[in-house]
Amino acid sequence: MENRKALVVDDEFHIVQVVSIKLKNNGFEVTTAENGQMAYDLACEVKPDVIITDYQMPVMSGVEFIEKLRSNEETAATPVIMLTARGFAIEDDRKDALRVSAYLSKPFSPREVLQTVDDVLKQTAAV
Amino acid sequence: MKRETAIWISLGAGNLLASAVGVTAGLGVLPKQAVVIATVLALLTGTGFLLLIWRHLGKLRKISQTLDSQAMIVPADFRSTVLEETAASVRGYSLKVKEQVICVQEENQALSLQLQVLGRRKSNIEEIINSIRDAVVVSDDKGRVILANHSAEKLFGFKFDPQSPKPVAEMIGEEALQLLIQRCRQSRTAHVRHELTFERGGEPVTFDVVLSCVLDDTSGEAAQVVTVLHDVTREKEIAQAKNDFVSHVSHELKTPLASINAYAEMLVDGEAEDEDTRNQFCEVIQSQAQRLGRLIEDILNISRIESGLIKVHKETHSLALVVRDSVEMIKSYAQEKNISIDAPAPILYDQVYIDRDMVSQVVINLLSNAVKYTPAGGHITINSELNEADGQVTVTVTDTGVGIPAEDVDHVFDKFYRVEANNKYAKGTGLGLNLVKQIVETVHSGAIFVTSVQNEGSTFGFTLPLSVDAAQSVS
Repeated sequence: MENRKALVVDDEFHIVQVVSIKLKNNGFEVTTAENGQMAYDLACEVKPDVIITDYQMPVMSGVEFIEKLRSNEETAATPVIMLTARGFAIEDDRKDALRVSAYLSKPFSPREVLQTVDDVLKQTAAV
Repeated sequence: MKRETAIWISLGAGNLLASAVGVTAGLGVLPKQAVVIATVLALLTGTGFLLLIWRHLGKLRKISQTLDSQAMIVPADFRSTVLEETAASVRGYSLKVKEQVICVQEENQALSLQLQVLGRRKSNIEEIINSIRDAVVVSDDKGRVILANHSAEKLFGFKFDPQSPKPVAEMIGEEALQLLIQRCRQSRTAHVRHELTFERGGEPVTFDVVLSCVLDDTSGEAAQVVTVLHDVTREKEIAQAKNDFVSHVSHELKTPLASINAYAEMLVDGEAEDEDTRNQFCEVIQSQAQRLGRLIEDILNISRIESGLIKVHKETHSLALVVRDSVEMIKSYAQEKNISIDAPAPILYDQVYIDRDMVSQVVINLLSNAVKYTPAGGHITINSELNEADGQVTVTVTDTGVGIPAEDVDHVFDKFYRVEANNKYAKGTGLGLNLVKQIVETVHSGAIFVTSVQNEGSTFGFTLPLSVDAAQSVS
């Protein structure tokens, strides 16, 4: 359970804060970013076990960020949980290529985020 | 005599019918077959009349010949008696003929009067149909357009000529509508409703199309299809805007609510490890609740103004004083960011008839936006200008802030519009400037405007009409 690393990406400060604290309190080492570009650079550097990202952000959106992750061999397999808003939609073929492990629609509860992160990591470990 | 009476009646009826048919046929009231039948009838009865006269003349001739041949044996008084009786009988007939002629003339007069009335009614109905803003097209059993009003002519770009009805396919380009008319005629549907969208002037225009099949009374065959097209584009736009508004509002309300929920849950779960963190969580909950409150207040105010339900208390005020008070309220916020504010010297006679609270809200909103989007050390200038000729006063707020990208400038007064590029400088509801616009334009019949250069700054301003009293004192 030691050294689990999470990257939390959202342009909304409160969401980043609440998710970070919840994960930190549950044994995660947390890095944060406020847009896709920043997040990609950090992902390459930190190599997190799991990434939680918003889909709509300035500079680089969540979808573009994940596409960039998938194109890089080192980060291609990192499990991603995406935070979405109501009415969120991406084309099916694009969605398949993203290989997002779970979608969480806002408003979500911190407990729900932690539970999803645990489930996704268990699944990844089993594979 | 009985037979003669019958012939007389039929003769009269024949004449009546013939003249009626003659007149109505001219006006196109009766169908061709009816005209033919009536003419034949009239000819037949006319021939009957001639035959009758001929028979009587023959009889008289015979009597006269007999009397001549038997002159010696028939007494003279008998001769005169027969002649007198015959003469009387002929006189009787001619009298009856005269009566019939008078009767037919009267009927003729009555009929032409009725026809005049019908003619007037027909042109009146045409006027009514043409005055309808909906497009009306009537087609017959052969699928030809036999009636179309001006709106239909304009919509489909044809000229309707009642003398030469053309097929629907020739008059109406839209195949979907041709098909609906055809289907309605074939299925004899009494009433059917469809929504069709046509391209007009490069824009889609949506119509509520109602088709009714009118059946022939006698044969029960489908006779005519009445098509009415009502333009519902505007209604649809309004409905769409309402839906968008509701979905946008719920999304905007959810954002602060989500934060409140998440932080409250963190507190409940004991995730805040020290007093400071707990306090910070409580502050987030409080500020998000306040944001939620502001949002609801803004939405309600916009909705009240739009529906005309807001209570407006207008009085005559000096706009310069309203501006001065608003500057006082914003000063400390500007000082925190080290932003200087240049306020104007009050203008005399800038009396405006306004709801003071609402106009204060406008000025405060423009000023606080200027502070929000101007980096520390910047500058804000307020200007007032009195235009006596137009009876207007203009207030502008100019900042040295981040400015607005060109593609966003035209939309900053739209509901929920947020300039994406400037999101990082301040969080907003996207309702403030819309409310400002509504207060200036809807409540005070003024005008709002903005000019901006990215990375240089923006100027927001509004113009209000001077109050009538003020305008008089100026002159």
